[in-house]
Amino acid sequence: MIPTKETVELDDRQLVETIRRGDNDAFEQLVRRKTTKVYSLCYRIIGNAEDAKDISQLVFIKLWENLDKYDPHFAFDTWLYRMVTNVAIDFLRNKQSRENAVNSNLRLVKTSSDAEQGVVVQRKEIENVFNAVATVLSPKQKTIFVMREMDDLPSSEIAKILGCRESTVRNHLFNARKLMQQQLRKRYPEYSRLWKEGQ
Amino acid sequence: MISCQSFRERLAPGSNEAAVMEHLRKCDACLDFAVSVDADHFFRALDGSELTPPGGVDAFTSDVMAQVRLRQAEGSMGRRRLPNPWRLAVAAMILVGISGAAIVYRQSEQTAPVAQIQPAAHRAELVTKPIVESYDSRTATIVELRGEGASDAQVVMIFDDSLPADL
Repeated sequence: MIPTKETVELDDRQLVETIRRGDNDAFEQLVRRKTTKVYSLCYRIIGNAEDAKDISQLVFIKLWENLDKYDPHFAFDTWLYRMVTNVAIDFLRNKQSRENAVNSNLRLVKTSSDAEQGVVVQRKEIENVFNAVATVLSPKQKTIFVMREMDDLPSSEIAKILGCRESTVRNHLFNARKLMQQQLRKRYPEYSRLWKEGQ
Repeated sequence: MISCQSFRERLAPGSNEAAVMEHLRKCDACLDFAVSVDADHFFRALDGSELTPPGGVDAFTSDVMAQVRLRQAEGSMGRRRLPNPWRLAVAAMILVGISGAAIVYRQSEQTAPVAQIQPAAHRAELVTKPIVESYDSRTATIVELRGEGASDAQVVMIFDDSLPADL
């Protein structure tokens, strides 16, 4: 039987071992394999394509520099996600401190009469709304919210990634939802009605 | 992807079932219904699929690899220098060498026989010469320096090639 690409392809741990022996091609293979995963998480946490691309590249450089520290007893993706969240959270912390004041009044609040009209949820609009209301979240809250609600990661996995307790993750999630609903009420009353109806 | 009917039957508040989430993120027709069941589905409806960075995966990967190669080159340049313990050892040896040389030099200076001042073969004897009170010569140059006060000694210098050397 001729080995297909799938049968000869190394898994993440084997690839890491090969890279540790100084194989740059193996690292290139790992970058290709993980790019969309890393970039997607960065993009959802950061909310900006160019910044997300820069941060993703930084993640891979850090990955290459710290590969010796990876313990193969743990899932590689958990370790990778931890690196992504650390770098992205650092970036957001620096960025938030500069931009919080600027962003706070960018969108005019709709009138109450607009809000009382029926609203049809537009998928494209959700991302804009999320990016706007998520500015009130702390970098950690936003990261947890993204991993839980958009990447569908279980709380236990998020706790492993962030190196905290599951109860801490749940607390952050609870607070994040509360803060975002408050922001929706303030800035997007037409959407905040969904929560009143739905809950 | 599951059908809209199946989705609406299976959707429940807090639902996290993969097939249900996939439908929620792809079907616009069911979005309003999902949000009416659980408002938290509003943000869960954000597309959770994997995104491609601007410029594509190939360009992204080559950018990363270029940076990795650059760091490797910087690293190899750094490695050409001796590693830290070796550098320290070499520095210590140089220091010991210099100190040793200095000590040896000092000791050799102390132990070396000091050159004895040999007594002059012909000791100059102090002889009282007659005082010349008056001098008369046609070839001599006589310089007379007057003192500032009356008590100051008067100095007279006589330059004469015809005078004897031992005068």
